[in-house]
Amino acid sequence: MRYDSARLAGFSDTAVKERRAPFDTPFFLLVLLLLSLGVVMVLSASFARAYYDPGNITGGNAAYYFVRQLLFALLGTGGMLLASKLPMSLYRRGAFPFLTFALLLLMLVPFIGVKVNGARRWLGVGGLTLQPSELAKLAVILSFSALICRMRGRMKTFRYGILPFAALLCAIVGLLVLEPHFSASVIIIAIGGVMLFLGGVRLGWFIGAAAAAGSALAVLLAFFPYASSRITTWRDPFSSSSDEGYQIVQSLYSIGSGGLSGLGLGGSRQKYLYLPEEHNDFIFAVVCEELGFIGAALILTLFALLILRGFWIALHCRDRYDFLVCAGISSLLALQVFLNVAVVTNLVPCTGISLPFFSYGGTALLIQLGEMGIILSASRTILIEK
Amino acid sequence: MSGTVEKGRGSGPNRQMLRRALALMGLCGIAAFLVLLIRLYKLQITDHEFYEELAIGQQLREAAASPSRGTIYDTNMNPLAVSASVDNVYLSPAEIQMYGEDRELIARGLSQILGLDYDDILEKTGRTGSWYVTVARKVEAEQAAEVRRFKTDNGLKGVRLETDTKRYYPNSSLACHLIGFVGTDNTGLEGIEAKYNSALAGSAGRTLRATNAYGTELLFTSFEEYSPGKDGCDLVLTVDSTIQYYVEKHLKQAVEDYDIQNGAGAIAMDVNTGGILAMASIEGYDLNDFLAVSDEAQALINAAASEEEATALLQQAQARQWRNKALSDTYEPGSTFKIITLSMALEEGAVDLTDSFYCGGNVSVLGRTSPIRCWKDGGHGSQNLTQAVQHSCNVAFVNIGLRVGAETFYQYCEAFGFLNLSADPDENLTATTGIDLAGESGSIWWSRNTFCSEKNLSQLAAASFGQTFTITPLQLITAVSACVNGGRLMQPYVVRQLRNPDGTVAYAREPTLVRQVISGETSAKVRSILEQVVGDPMDGTGRNAAVAGYRIGGKTGTSEKVSLEAQTGEKEYIVSFIGFAPADDPKIALLVFLDTPSNKSGVYISGGQMAAPVVGNMMADILPYLGVEPEGAEGAGADVTVPDFTALGREELSAAVKEAGLDYRTIGEGDSVTGQLPAAGASIAEGSQIILYFDAQVSPDRETVPELTGMSYAQARDTLSYYGIYIHATSPVTDAGTQKVSSQSIQPGCLVGHGSIVEVTLFSDDDSMLGRY
Repeated sequence: MRYDSARLAGFSDTAVKERRAPFDTPFFLLVLLLLSLGVVMVLSASFARAYYDPGNITGGNAAYYFVRQLLFALLGTGGMLLASKLPMSLYRRGAFPFLTFALLLLMLVPFIGVKVNGARRWLGVGGLTLQPSELAKLAVILSFSALICRMRGRMKTFRYGILPFAALLCAIVGLLVLEPHFSASVIIIAIGGVMLFLGGVRLGWFIGAAAAAGSALAVLLAFFPYASSRITTWRDPFSSSSDEGYQIVQSLYSIGSGGLSGLGLGGSRQKYLYLPEEHNDFIFAVVCEELGFIGAALILTLFALLILRGFWIALHCRDRYDFLVCAGISSLLALQVFLNVAVVTNLVPCTGISLPFFSYGGTALLIQLGEMGIILSASRTILIEK
Repeated sequence: MSGTVEKGRGSGPNRQMLRRALALMGLCGIAAFLVLLIRLYKLQITDHEFYEELAIGQQLREAAASPSRGTIYDTNMNPLAVSASVDNVYLSPAEIQMYGEDRELIARGLSQILGLDYDDILEKTGRTGSWYVTVARKVEAEQAAEVRRFKTDNGLKGVRLETDTKRYYPNSSLACHLIGFVGTDNTGLEGIEAKYNSALAGSAGRTLRATNAYGTELLFTSFEEYSPGKDGCDLVLTVDSTIQYYVEKHLKQAVEDYDIQNGAGAIAMDVNTGGILAMASIEGYDLNDFLAVSDEAQALINAAASEEEATALLQQAQARQWRNKALSDTYEPGSTFKIITLSMALEEGAVDLTDSFYCGGNVSVLGRTSPIRCWKDGGHGSQNLTQAVQHSCNVAFVNIGLRVGAETFYQYCEAFGFLNLSADPDENLTATTGIDLAGESGSIWWSRNTFCSEKNLSQLAAASFGQTFTITPLQLITAVSACVNGGRLMQPYVVRQLRNPDGTVAYAREPTLVRQVISGETSAKVRSILEQVVGDPMDGTGRNAAVAGYRIGGKTGTSEKVSLEAQTGEKEYIVSFIGFAPADDPKIALLVFLDTPSNKSGVYISGGQMAAPVVGNMMADILPYLGVEPEGAEGAGADVTVPDFTALGREELSAAVKEAGLDYRTIGEGDSVTGQLPAAGASIAEGSQIILYFDAQVSPDRETVPELTGMSYAQARDTLSYYGIYIHATSPVTDAGTQKVSSQSIQPGCLVGHGSIVEVTLFSDDDSMLGRY
């Protein structure tokens, strides 16, 4: 209470700083733990591909991916600490400029994007590449939170509670479909939905939206053979284990052969060019193979704790905006982890979703750590009861 | 709504928001992870073994270290089948694509080195879904080295080689049916290669190692498991390549001389052990190219109307050439079987050497509507036992068989290994020798009830001279060996030793005595009677098998192929002869059978006229090789050794030449002999006309060898002398006027130098020899 009244009374900055709560240490430590595990797993999972270098990328340097990931992890940790220092009001004020920036980048992608496997999803910046869709996810959380705060009681109406949000989502998803980027679209829609759900939109809308999404999916499957073949592969990956089903079958081999205690860190055999994307979207399969059910369950538990802690922070936020942002980012994290593991275990049809802190990818890691920094920043506003 | 409210305490999340956030927290932080954990449990714990097995299946590569297949040696350790290391060349089109290698370069290089079709290889390089496409199998070391050089020079990862072994048969077609051959996977398919496949093959060593998806080694986690293989055992056969060579040589000659229609076979057996010394079947084939058929068969195939017909013809021709007639064919042995009837009758005391048998040309048998006829019209008259065998008299043998009786006859047939008596009296009977070769057929005999019927003796009567049942040639020679070796039936065998790769003996086979069938005394009687069949130049139907200086016993056989006559209406025969030597202490038995001689060959179709001389020729080569000392004056009255007449004057000459038992003519005008034909030391027929040169040189001209077959020995000798070519008979010369030439060592039409010597086989051609006996 002293802190609260001090702020309300407009005490001097230095006096406030002294009494200001530190950020949430459990959350911070969980992030660091997961990040360290992730970097180690990138080393273990990637060195075979880096060594054999079938794509002529690494020049045979086995530590190629690891060193890059480590650098970004260090950079990202610094970024996270910096982000945690910035006040939440800055994120609120910056929400719409940031959204505009992300939309601009998304609009650039179809023109100057880098084409990989038939889709333009990347922007090249110097030697780095960036997926603007990663920025868009954060932009949606920040801007929707700000909008919800502004709409307040009007969230129950269609005009204020649905229309502006839906328009924004349509714009972003429309740009993503151009790339095309199915998984990012799904996540953006889902996270938008989560924000509206938190914001107090009537549940009826969600039922309607689910019905609409279901029928859209049915149309998609009926008219696009590409999509329906994905479903066939999902239902029975072994029927096409040499082509469409190859990746998921190899993933299942990895996970299944891990057993209870795994082959030991570094002991994966599937990473020897059998399993595609082994240091990337499918890194969790290598985790399962090397560390077994025990290790995989432990890592999932760490993720769960981190997410629960994120929500815990959100629930303790005194500001509605802070609350929405923390809950949104935690939900996004949960969504990413769930979808990634669900894909590699063939629980849902295969699509490209990376595992936060584990999958190789510098800019994505930076953005994820930045998001964690925002939660940490919010955690500073929580009252500490002595 | 005022801004102040927004910034105040009311700006925190409302109740609904908190409720929803809590729900979301449970969903995101607990429910979602529970789902994932359940899924992981299913994959990693419940289905662990299923996935592990599949994963290991793709991660482990098994490299079989192919063991070296054992060598097959003949009894003198001459290699008959050896293995050498070769390479298989294959492509990995997936890697060709992955590394962007030049397909055209690969196709060009390999087609040049291996002599294969360029387009074919180019097509194979394009099968990018595959890691293994065979280009050439069993490439020899030299070509393989070139491929290796081509691979390294161009840094090709998509061109690969793997070691394999290839079987070589140094003697090509020699003993082909005995040895057999292996398929592309090095598994024995015929003969000893098939029967002893597991011993020869050894066991493959296996290297099991974990590899990456490209099939190369893993980096740090090197999992490797090695189970050592074992090279195959070497085999040492009882077969003697030299004897095999002689047997094949004379058998081929006979097939040509008599225009044999349906192939022929021969077996040489060690009488005392049952070891096979040689076994031949015609037609033969080259073991190194066992798929290729004879030119005649190939011509037929080429002329075939359709692809299917050509394939069928090829398969037929291959099956025919691979068939070991000595083992796989059964036939009615005919008169050669009289040895068995004789042996059992003597052993049972049913007949004695002093017994007399009358042959009036036929004999009536209970159960037959017409009497059984002897091969000789009008009959042989009164004969003692030895004469009855010498004459091969059917009437006498019917009586001998009837004296033995059907039950006893069958018991001896069982004892000699021709049949196995069955508990079911109505079952047809059969037996095999159990030799260690693939493809042995079983005999076919009437059921006991049919044969032993008291109301019908016709089966017994016909069986007594070797008809109405069929046996394999191998069964006959095995039983006859028992008849002459002291009565011991030996199990025939081919492999006498298995040797470990280090040369130590893994297994040595001892001769297997099946049973004592007849006594030693009976066997001695059989030997002496059979010697009279060959050795008696006046009365023996086997006299054409005689070899000067050697004591040979034997028996002829001529059997009509009854079933074939019913089909074609033409009489077809299998003529055969079984002989053994030396007659007093046999070492070797030889059986030759010729299936369906042509009646246009000019030689009377019978075992005595056709098969006996072949056995004689084989014996003439084999007995000296076996170190059997000839007895008596070699070729008494037949050959003389030409003395050196050089420097003799015209006056002294006449007497000197006459003294040598020769005739002469002179060429040239000088005073003394400067050259002679043939050279001093040559062994030529007595009475040959030699050529003596006076101040002249032996003419370098070459002469065409004339056709001698059908000429009498004297005629042939004089005809050759006219050309300055000389004759040497392998058969004993008993009557130069009536003995005729049945075959000659140098074929008519061949060019030879003056003084060359043509070896001829003689046969007696008087009326007493003309008959199917």
